Amino acid sequence: MKLKNGFILRDIGGECVAVPTGSDIDLNGMITLNETAKTLWLCLEKGAELSDLVKALTDEYEVDEETARKAAVSFTEKLKGHGFLE
Amino acid sequence: MKKYYRIAGLCVAMDSFGKTEKQAKDYLITENDPPTPDIQIVSNRQKLMSECPYLGEDSCEYLSTGNSFYRQLIDHNGLLIHSSAVVMDGKAYLFSAPCGTGKSTHTALWQEVFGRERARILNDDKPAVRLENGEFFAYGTPWSGKTDLNINMRVPLAGICMLRRGTENKIKPFGGAMALHAILEQTARSKDADFTVKLLDLLEKLFISVPVWQLECNMEPEAALVSYNAMSKGFENNK
Repeated sequence: MKLKNGFILRDIGGECVAVPTGSDIDLNGMITLNETAKTLWLCLEKGAELSDLVKALTDEYEVDEETARKAAVSFTEKLKGHGFLE
Repeated sequence: MKKYYRIAGLCVAMDSFGKTEKQAKDYLITENDPPTPDIQIVSNRQKLMSECPYLGEDSCEYLSTGNSFYRQLIDHNGLLIHSSAVVMDGKAYLFSAPCGTGKSTHTALWQEVFGRERARILNDDKPAVRLENGEFFAYGTPWSGKTDLNINMRVPLAGICMLRRGTENKIKPFGGAMALHAILEQTARSKDADFTVKLLDLLEKLFISVPVWQLECNMEPEAALVSYNAMSKGFENNK
């Protein structure tokens, strides 16, 4: 899985946002990412499998594999739903 | 005929007519040898007229030249903030909101409460904001929306307030992603990545040096007192 090109990631006032550019992404606003979402986002920018996402979460946060898997699946489903993945 | 103007501290070359030319009169550069233009205005009024024929040629020219100016402003550390800008005691306060919320109504309340001599409308719809030597300034420009209210001057920017209609008057500091989103909705955007990177760079700095507020307000004079009291102090605290 890989994010489409064209998102610009920024930390503004302590919050992380992704602002879309280009014609590939159908979104006028922007996306606010919490800490775990940002971790997953950074992996997906480069391209990652579900197992990579789970590992990134368990490495960075005190979370068991099952919970991490659920979070990763739910996040990527959301991204897919919006058409943000390639 | 191409004429040269000084707008938002930049030399602007524009060949226009009608309302646009009339509104820009105060900004004309009168020297015989104008400097090399920083911005060349390109008018796409024909395209706009084919999309919105009901607007008429004069309005299309006005909107199109404004778009051209604000789109190029990003290359000079500047951006449009769709707002009504009021100047008081040498500081500029911007009230921004979607159309029809009451931006102009609110700054008109400032004039009612503080007097038209003390509270002046810098630009009633589209002030330019620029970062110069680490400090943000608001400028009047010829493009000021329907009311034609603008003054050719540069004023230190003391605060930006996102406006919402309410029954009571309440103001609070506004920050983070919500505030960024609100401002992105009220500036010129582009799908172009280079433009967006420059815009976000500038907004990041803006959020650090200029206080941003959220005001819920009605149309009573008290609304002006509530916003002024918070925003004028906010500026001092930020210094």
